[in-house]
Amino acid sequence: MQTGKVRVILQREYISRVKTKGFWIGTVILPLFMVAVTVLPSVLLSRSRANLRLVVVDATGKMAPSLVERLRGVEKPAAENASTAARRALEGERRRPAPRADFVVEAEPVAGDRAAQRQALDERVMSEKIDAWVWIDEDGLAKNTVEYHGQNVSNIVVQERLSRALTEVVRDARLRAAGYDADKVAALDQEIELTTLRVTKEGGKAEQGVAGFFFAYALFLTLYMVLMIYGQQVMNGVLEEKSSRVVEVVISTVTPFEMMLGKLAGIGLVAFTQIGIWLGTAAILTAPQIVIGLAALPAGIPSVTPAIILHFLGFFVLGFFLYATFFAAIGSAFNDIREAQQAATSATFFLVAPVILMFLIVNDPDSPVAILTSLFPPFTPLLMMLRIVVKTPPVWQIALGYALTAAAAVGMVWVCAKIYRTGILMYGKKPTFKELWQWVRYA
Amino acid sequence: MTTTLELCDVRKRYGDFQAVDGVNLAVSPGTVFGLLGPNGAGKTTSIRMVMDIIAPDSGEVRFWGRARQKGDLDRIGYLPEERGLYRKMTVVDHLVFLAELHGLKRRAALPRIQSWLERLELAAWAKKKVEELSKGMQQKIQLVGTVLHEPEIIILDEPFSGLDPINQTLFKDAFAEFKRQGKTLLFSTHVMEQAEKLCDEICLISRGRVVLAGKLAEIKQRLGGNSYRLVAEGDLAGLGSLPGITQVLVRDGDNGSGARTAKLLLAQDADGPDVLRRVVERVRVREFRSEEPELEEIFIKAVRDADR
Repeated sequence: MQTGKVRVILQREYISRVKTKGFWIGTVILPLFMVAVTVLPSVLLSRSRANLRLVVVDATGKMAPSLVERLRGVEKPAAENASTAARRALEGERRRPAPRADFVVEAEPVAGDRAAQRQALDERVMSEKIDAWVWIDEDGLAKNTVEYHGQNVSNIVVQERLSRALTEVVRDARLRAAGYDADKVAALDQEIELTTLRVTKEGGKAEQGVAGFFFAYALFLTLYMVLMIYGQQVMNGVLEEKSSRVVEVVISTVTPFEMMLGKLAGIGLVAFTQIGIWLGTAAILTAPQIVIGLAALPAGIPSVTPAIILHFLGFFVLGFFLYATFFAAIGSAFNDIREAQQAATSATFFLVAPVILMFLIVNDPDSPVAILTSLFPPFTPLLMMLRIVVKTPPVWQIALGYALTAAAAVGMVWVCAKIYRTGILMYGKKPTFKELWQWVRYA
Repeated sequence: MTTTLELCDVRKRYGDFQAVDGVNLAVSPGTVFGLLGPNGAGKTTSIRMVMDIIAPDSGEVRFWGRARQKGDLDRIGYLPEERGLYRKMTVVDHLVFLAELHGLKRRAALPRIQSWLERLELAAWAKKKVEELSKGMQQKIQLVGTVLHEPEIIILDEPFSGLDPINQTLFKDAFAEFKRQGKTLLFSTHVMEQAEKLCDEICLISRGRVVLAGKLAEIKQRLGGNSYRLVAEGDLAGLGSLPGITQVLVRDGDNGSGARTAKLLLAQDADGPDVLRRVVERVRVREFRSEEPELEEIFIKAVRDADR
């Protein structure tokens, strides 16, 4: 092994990539993108204000006035429990606010010909004079249902608000009918919230479930994207060398294995640099001393601990060698990006599968499915990392995960180096998988 | 005298195709050696085996009279047939990279790069990206990359392909200078004209075998003497059927007087005057004179003989 020349190749890969604008743009954009896909949709949904022109037809004759009152936003203060309100005030509204919707409500008495009235209402919806109408009658209430008619029935925020208001109105009416003081009952009947405290070796620490989930999700997605993006970069780099025919000059001074190693190490270090910047920034921003000062950040975000950084980097290195060598082999075996992309899909499958398994594992990180899948080497980097963040698994499982993945990565390097050696100078026909296997066996 | 580079019974097979079939050749120090042959003869495969890019099935490549050693490749400059550069790198960065790959330090490489770029009138392009350069410029950059580490042996696979006449001359001048510096040059080509002008020694291979090898002057002497230049009116091509004439190469167009020029290749034992007597009966001869054969004829003949 000519380490000096491997270093020359490594340097070229590293410098030529870190020097590009694309690298720095990616470094800034990717975290923003991550925030966008994880946090933004729920924030937007909860912050969005919907407007709805609604007609209420109350066949029971008892619900309409209080429903209209509620929907117009004159909610009774008792609807919110005093202590929750106080806590919210203290936290400065850090909790996700309830979905809001503005209603333009109009109550309509039941007409003699109900069928004609319903049809007339439908026509008003179709001609867009109103957006929706609800029909409250005894039959429906007996089954705890109220009909909602509208062109758009996917407006879940509006429906949730409407359904909540209806629930309260109907409940109040029923309580009154049964002889209870509705306000008193409402004050007593309060939802209990969980104040989640994650138990770890470092001791219990207040942490909000939602924030914890987003944190795990963000780390998981980052690892996924880094493996994917840099794997592709390796593949494109090899393809470029092959199609631009640079490779032969390089191969005349180093062995193909040295060339592949230098390339992988160089691109790996680029990724390492990028991750370093992200994790460093995240660690600083989430350090307890700083979080307090940053009211803008949601409360209870877990800090990026050194242990998490180490595991992340460890699994990144293993995952990178596992996947990037495969991408390198594919890049060497094929002649153009389209052919290679097709073959690369198989690797993509192994990267995407953990994304599908993710929710299963977050819900029950110690289930047999979680344990088995997180010990399957192609999945280990992503899934074991996820388990460590969600609920630290037993040490033996983490160790076994590392060992199996390392073994798989070594095997992958061995196989792919052989394909690379033959493929890199092979032009022309697209190789079949049988031929690739022959390269591995006879190279 | 030890040879600089030697191929001993080297063979390489790709599947059913015997690309190189027992090639022996020896290159003496300081010579310009031409590896000639038609397309697909095994030139590139042979050179790749010299460069240790592919391993021969059998046989040996020897440098300086001994088996290949680690580090030998740093004393060789190689310009592959399949040429290419990293498009996004700047010219200087790329040349430094190539120099470093051959074990040269950046600091040592930079002044050499500077002087080469000035010499090839590329200094203004030093900080430009490779992709901004024209194809000819890229080829020049590649040649610089081949010789930056001042190799003792320079191996060039089809160095003139794709070059315009100006750059061809530039390359030839550079080769002449390398020769003056005592470097050993080995290059492959299928264009005999270039080989004829540049080479001291040649090795002609066809279908993976050596069909002709030796000093160019000796080969010409040995195989020459039986080639005639004919200027005449009439059916020149038809002369090929006369006894003693093995081939007639008719040049394009006439010289305005209705006469055309042809080259007559005679059988080894044929007598010039005898042939002339027969030729006179068929066409109006204006000129008939003995001529030194061009390498191209030797090449065609040798390849044809080998195929028989």
